Amino acid sequence: MGYCKRYRLLIPVLGVLLIACPAGAQDSPPPRVQTHAGYIPVIAGGAAYVYNANGGVPTQLPQINPVLLVPFGSQFLLESRTSFTGFFQRENQTSGPYKGKVFKSVDYAQVDWLLDSHLIFSAGKYILPFGIYNERLVPVWIRNLQDSPITAAIGTRNSGAGDGFMFRGVAVQSPRYSVQYTAYFSARSDINQLEAARTAGGDTSIYLTQPRLEVGVSYQRFLQQRNINSVATYISWQPRTTPLDLKAEGDFSYNGRGYWIESAYRFQQLPIPQFARHFQAVARMQQFFPLNGGGNSLPTKDTHRVDFGLNYYIRDDIRLISSYGRSFSSQGNANVWNVGASYRFLFPLWPGRKK
Amino acid sequence: MKRSSFRATLLLCSMFFTATIIRSQQQKPAKPAASQQPKTKSGEQVFNDNCSRCHTPPMAISPRITGTIIMHMRTRARLSQEDQERLLKYLAP
Repeated sequence: MGYCKRYRLLIPVLGVLLIACPAGAQDSPPPRVQTHAGYIPVIAGGAAYVYNANGGVPTQLPQINPVLLVPFGSQFLLESRTSFTGFFQRENQTSGPYKGKVFKSVDYAQVDWLLDSHLIFSAGKYILPFGIYNERLVPVWIRNLQDSPITAAIGTRNSGAGDGFMFRGVAVQSPRYSVQYTAYFSARSDINQLEAARTAGGDTSIYLTQPRLEVGVSYQRFLQQRNINSVATYISWQPRTTPLDLKAEGDFSYNGRGYWIESAYRFQQLPIPQFARHFQAVARMQQFFPLNGGGNSLPTKDTHRVDFGLNYYIRDDIRLISSYGRSFSSQGNANVWNVGASYRFLFPLWPGRKK
Repeated sequence: MKRSSFRATLLLCSMFFTATIIRSQQQKPAKPAASQQPKTKSGEQVFNDNCSRCHTPPMAISPRITGTIIMHMRTRARLSQEDQERLLKYLAP
């Protein structure tokens, strides 16, 4: 009986492989194009300083998240992201000198093998591809609002990363749409900086190119202690004619269910002075309802939250950030303020030869 | 009190979303005839379609690192090899 349940997990994994492999076999990859693109190791990533006030308690959160990218030929890529995050609070929460420490963590360290036009194999420590937030929107220079959604804890236990292997790629592609997939298995690990839970799961999404609309679904089976199923559905829309970014995600798990909707609008098309067109207005609302007592980094009471943000892009890589949020819960309401700046960097590790 | 203030903010959010959606619909350009639609995507289209799904696209990338960055983005955005090559041609011709 237990074996049947375990083998059921393999069905979606084999399903995406069966879809992907014939798709890849139909059209063998064309020869490498001749361009002036260089393949040298790169340090990319983001840095930020955020001043946070949550319920009147101020916290300073400086951080830097370098991403190391080392290509080996045109088919292998080593990529790793490390986070150094400072957490400094006043000695008596609202008074006294700031004290704290810097936490460091390896977010992911994986080797990617670009096997085929439709298939990429990754092994190592990888970010769990659950929903739209954990894999895509976590970097500090990408996220429009600095605080994570409440439901970000669903499908990302224990560390947000998995240790094992992952297949991913585009299963079907046409000028009008593409279907992407990911399937993974993670082993349990308690090794320092490689903490991960035993999980298996996958993600698939369809992207419609004309309306720039993506709709996807993620599934994860947590295979430790109590076996837990988690499901996320998400939507992402960036209309062609308007600088609007609309994203939403709904999550369901044993410990609770919830959703968030976020909209970000750049002022670049408004008839206002040039300097003001660099502003971006953001709004997000979310609700969470615990099930079975909640827990596992999720609230134990019904929680509603709204956030409003105003960001200013000095350049495409330097941004001033500010936001106000209000959290509503039977355990108490709280105001959350964030003010700061973020910077995205992109450097070659050593001077490359210009072709 | 809590519920009413949450409903008020909910209403504000929905108004904001509705306004932005209506605005985008109003600015919709005339749809080209099916025969005029390109059968393959250009590198610029791949760049605009895929980069903006997650982040603000960079204004410029040095050709020396373009190959590495596009390999990284192919993995992250689950792009095909064809799209990778179109991006390389567009960013470092």
